[in-house]
Amino acid sequence: MPVDVAELKRSWTGFEFDRVEFPVTAEELAAFARAVGESAPWFVDPGHPEFRAVPNFTTKYHGRRMWPPDFPRLSKHSVGFDAGKRVEVHAPIRAGDVLTARSQIHDIYEKTGRSGSMVFIVHRMEFSNQRGELAAVVDWRFLQQPDPD
Amino acid sequence: MILDLHNHSIRSDDGKARVENYCQWIRRRGLALDGFVLSEHRQFDGESDYRPLEDEFGLLILKASEVETDYGHVLVFGVNEDLLAALDFARVDLPLADVLRETERCGALAVPCHPGRPNVGLFAHYAARGPLPGVTLVETLNGGSRGGENELAGREAERYGYRGVGGSDAHIVSHIGRCATRFEAPIRSAEGLVAALRAGRYEAIACPSTSPS
Repeated sequence: MPVDVAELKRSWTGFEFDRVEFPVTAEELAAFARAVGESAPWFVDPGHPEFRAVPNFTTKYHGRRMWPPDFPRLSKHSVGFDAGKRVEVHAPIRAGDVLTARSQIHDIYEKTGRSGSMVFIVHRMEFSNQRGELAAVVDWRFLQQPDPD
Repeated sequence: MILDLHNHSIRSDDGKARVENYCQWIRRRGLALDGFVLSEHRQFDGESDYRPLEDEFGLLILKASEVETDYGHVLVFGVNEDLLAALDFARVDLPLADVLRETERCGALAVPCHPGRPNVGLFAHYAARGPLPGVTLVETLNGGSRGGENELAGREAERYGYRGVGGSDAHIVSHIGRCATRFEAPIRSAEGLVAALRAGRYEAIACPSTSPS
């Protein structure tokens, strides 16, 4: 089934489809830091005066929806897979913060490779803190391979 | 003069390397490269100015593009405004016949890359659709090829009488310099590179390991 990627992009990008709040605790900051191999005290010791989240901390969060309602599935045979995340850190995240995550489809593009045609859907989550400051932006690339013609 | 003709920076969606880091790697490892070409996927980077890096590291840094066609992926050297107006670089189904015609008309040059690769290599499409007039050279040595792909590219290039170039297809820093092209004469610009490729005095080489010329 051929996929009109330009039309998909026009129809599905640029609007918020999910919003979730995440209270941040010292315990989860330290646990995440240890899980990714950090040992610096400002990442693993809640008593440290500069204690804060590791840069990729926000990748642990998922919203209530992966895609907007009725977002089309491009293949009858495959659900696709995670093709990696890109994190931009804008402000420190600290214990006691309450993050608001807003989700949108940021981009949809296609490319070709050894395994055939690929469509990349970029799910963007923007995290702001309780003061309204942008804390982080996470772009999650999700790859779907349309069914052959 | 040795140039690595096929590399991607973070401007490509799947590129992980900064151009500065390519330069540092080449110098620290003593790679036998005099310069390299950035061929970003489905776009031409008309904005970045790498002249300060060229001066700092004593390397030639040229810009090209890797476009996607109905016969697989193709490097385009000598991209200019006329060509950007003639072709939509973002498409994944550009007719290769159009790319060959327009590059010729605009003074650029189209070189099918990794032609031995399934799906996105020229010769995979030749098997199904036959050869396309206008192709004169292909990338016979690609640093990202898997087993047998470069061998098939070399064999088929010889069969069709195509000349061959080499490029690393690097997406991470440590992959630059895996394959390259050795030119007889010095090259100083993208236009000079096109002229040299048309002239035919070069050879594809793998893993250059001597000091830069």
